[in-house]
Amino acid sequence: MKALVIKEMRLSASVLSYILICSAFLALCPGYPILCSAFFTTLGIFHSFQNAREANDIVFSALLPVAKSTVVKGKYLFSVMIEAAAFLVMTILTLLRMTVLSEVPVYRLNALMNANPFFLGMTLLIFGLFNLIFIGGFFKTAYVFSKPFLTYIIIAFLTLSIAEALHHFPGLEALNAFGFDHIILQISLLLAGAILFILLTFVSYRKSCERFERIDL
Amino acid sequence: MSIVELAGICKTYPAFKLNNVSFSLEEGKISGFIGRNGAGKTTTIKSMLNMVHIDSGSISFFGLPLSGNETEIKQRIGYSTGTVSWYPRKSIRDIVDVTRMFYRNWDEAAYRKYISLFSLDEKKKPIELSEGMKVKFNLLLALSHRAEVLILDEPTSGLDPFSRDELLELFMTLRSHGVTILFSTHITSDLERCADNIIYISQGEIRDACSKDDFRNNHGNPGESLEETFLRLEREARQ
Repeated sequence: MKALVIKEMRLSASVLSYILICSAFLALCPGYPILCSAFFTTLGIFHSFQNAREANDIVFSALLPVAKSTVVKGKYLFSVMIEAAAFLVMTILTLLRMTVLSEVPVYRLNALMNANPFFLGMTLLIFGLFNLIFIGGFFKTAYVFSKPFLTYIIIAFLTLSIAEALHHFPGLEALNAFGFDHIILQISLLLAGAILFILLTFVSYRKSCERFERIDL
Repeated sequence: MSIVELAGICKTYPAFKLNNVSFSLEEGKISGFIGRNGAGKTTTIKSMLNMVHIDSGSISFFGLPLSGNETEIKQRIGYSTGTVSWYPRKSIRDIVDVTRMFYRNWDEAAYRKYISLFSLDEKKKPIELSEGMKVKFNLLLALSHRAEVLILDEPTSGLDPFSRDELLELFMTLRSHGVTILFSTHITSDLERCADNIIYISQGEIRDACSKDDFRNNHGNPGESLEETFLRLEREARQ
């Protein structure tokens, strides 16, 4: 398994996957829809899939002495690693915005989503949707990725728009909490995001293993 | 002794059918797999690598069924093709560094020997290699993990006569070291030179699988070359 992850990192990955982890720093950007940072991270992972297809990576991997499910696992592990790296950066920056930067006027007067645990939960949901729709869709053929990526873009931006709009509805202001306000609700939403991420990724992984086992290369 | 056995392989596509393909490969022999383009050579080879899922039939290597032993079998076989290059923009060194991690029998001395024999530069990328050098690079990966069976899908297609000659020499040297080779091609003169056995496929069906001499006796006319026999058989099949 370690060898397969190294293969993903050294041979299949696009450098954009690593560079776009830095999009997590958008979480510090005032007056910006910070949930886009999650989308940009997945855009980087998409580039690695594109790179891999052009390099005949799937066929090369299928010829290696590993089970086909292991090839699938390698792709998921790589994607989750990139997502985890971006999430870690976002978490650190969110903690900064919740503590030392919580009273900074540019953040206080922000009409868009605030960096808080709800934002982190939504980030995990976007990552889960990418794993489910894009990666799961890719393994239907191990070749076609335009349709799953387009579907993911539409659903991701719908989710993002709804998440950005929610706190403007009466009664839902707590979603945009500052500092440690409404912390129980906020942590609950983060946990819900984490559970959804695990669930969507796991379902997608299982389905991809089944699909990859069946398809002819 | 048979080291690879295919029995009754069937695979149906909308416009093509692989029908009851059966043959075996003898240990330490070169078996030429001939047939015109679209006859079913690549589909058969992909079935042997479990890249194409067969509808029925069985495939075994070293007495082990492919189904359930794929990982173990792939440790002991090598595949090379003249038509695909892996990771065209990565250096040979990078590709080899990763590939060697997957094989328990990776032989660094063999790798050094063949990279020198093939005059391959580790710093080069597959995209910078000629077609012949790409085939050699694929072979390098197969030979460096001490593959006992080499499955070569049209390895000499697109090569100049000198490069083809070099490769055929290499196959014969490998045979003398006990390596079993399945060599798919539509260039019959290559088989004339190095094959021990001929497996002839036409329209998805095996027409004959026997020694080269038996193939000549069964199908050839006096004074006819293998290529002439092959062309005549194909013309007869189309009529």
